[in-house]
Amino acid sequence: MKRLLLSTVLLTVLWSVPTLVEAKGDDFGALVKVVEEFYDVKHKGIPFLAKSGIKTATAAARLAGGSKKRLAEAGSVKLAFFEDQEFNARGSIANFRATLKATLAGRWLPFIQVLSLNDGAQTYVFLRDAGPKYTVLVVTIEKHDAVVVQVNLAPQTLAILMQNPNEMGKAITDDATTTNDQE
Amino acid sequence: MRILFKTIKLASLALLLGLSVSATARAQNAKIELGQLDHLGSKASETVDVNIDERLMQITAKFLSGKDPDEVKIKQLVNGLKGIYVKSFEFEREGDYSQADIESIRSQLRNPAWSKILNVSSKKEGSIEVYLLTNASQVDGLVVLATDPKELTIVNIVGPVDLEKLSQLEGQFGVPELGIETKPKPKN
Repeated sequence: MKRLLLSTVLLTVLWSVPTLVEAKGDDFGALVKVVEEFYDVKHKGIPFLAKSGIKTATAAARLAGGSKKRLAEAGSVKLAFFEDQEFNARGSIANFRATLKATLAGRWLPFIQVLSLNDGAQTYVFLRDAGPKYTVLVVTIEKHDAVVVQVNLAPQTLAILMQNPNEMGKAITDDATTTNDQE
Repeated sequence: MRILFKTIKLASLALLLGLSVSATARAQNAKIELGQLDHLGSKASETVDVNIDERLMQITAKFLSGKDPDEVKIKQLVNGLKGIYVKSFEFEREGDYSQADIESIRSQLRNPAWSKILNVSSKKEGSIEVYLLTNASQVDGLVVLATDPKELTIVNIVGPVDLEKLSQLEGQFGVPELGIETKPKPKN
């Protein structure tokens, strides 16, 4: 009887571990899907510019008026682009925000949300502890474009960005989509 | 003798546990509930919602440079703080938020541990109420409720904070410019 119980517990643990890892690792994909389904849009693959940006992640970038190192850790960037599509925010912002929060609930801290009905702009920044680093998920939506970015940040970088949280989403998105040539 | 030593050890542990639970409870009390205002996001033309919890505050205190004078200043400012929470709504029309929305905040601050600081003046128009959560001579938290017909802003800072610190935090960590004057106006 004891052996049967032990085997059942072991099987349950082995079965649940990959599911948990998969769920945790796929939050970026889940958010992209939320944007696609909510606004009935389709994302595009990672643009060439962003790819080269990732490769040169140690180069200097301009941030907050000063010359700083790139924000994102090399190779940590995930990016989804939505271009020239319709993101009608009126009447739906509260629902969209609730859907995002529900998708990430319990795993990510909703760090900042800045929403503007007048120009249809929405910025959401979520944070998660990733060992010595921090993973940041940014969703930026404007009237016709949107970007979903996930990056790993060193705590030092996060500490600097947190001083101006309203600009944090923009700084991370710009960093992930800018090449050295554009600086 | 051994039993006596064990009893003292257990009693000390219980006391330490009690003290830490009480400190945590105080910190939790200083954080007020703001989620009930989320529905205003669908009416507001501009919404800002900032949540900086204790872990994030510690990152700021720990990882900012101890050499850069600006960063040293910020480190000192956030030292001991356990959280900064901000909700701010701007509306196109008057009456888009109700007295019930404000009451949902005020009702949490009627606890005797909270005291309203009177005579707080601001360069901005509208009304500003500032509440402090005090425990003996120590301040454990602060709430600012700023209202005008088309704006509603709540700032909740958890940890040791005063008006001087609040004014230094304005424009940083999501704390909006409240224009609170910490020094008395000179008499004419």
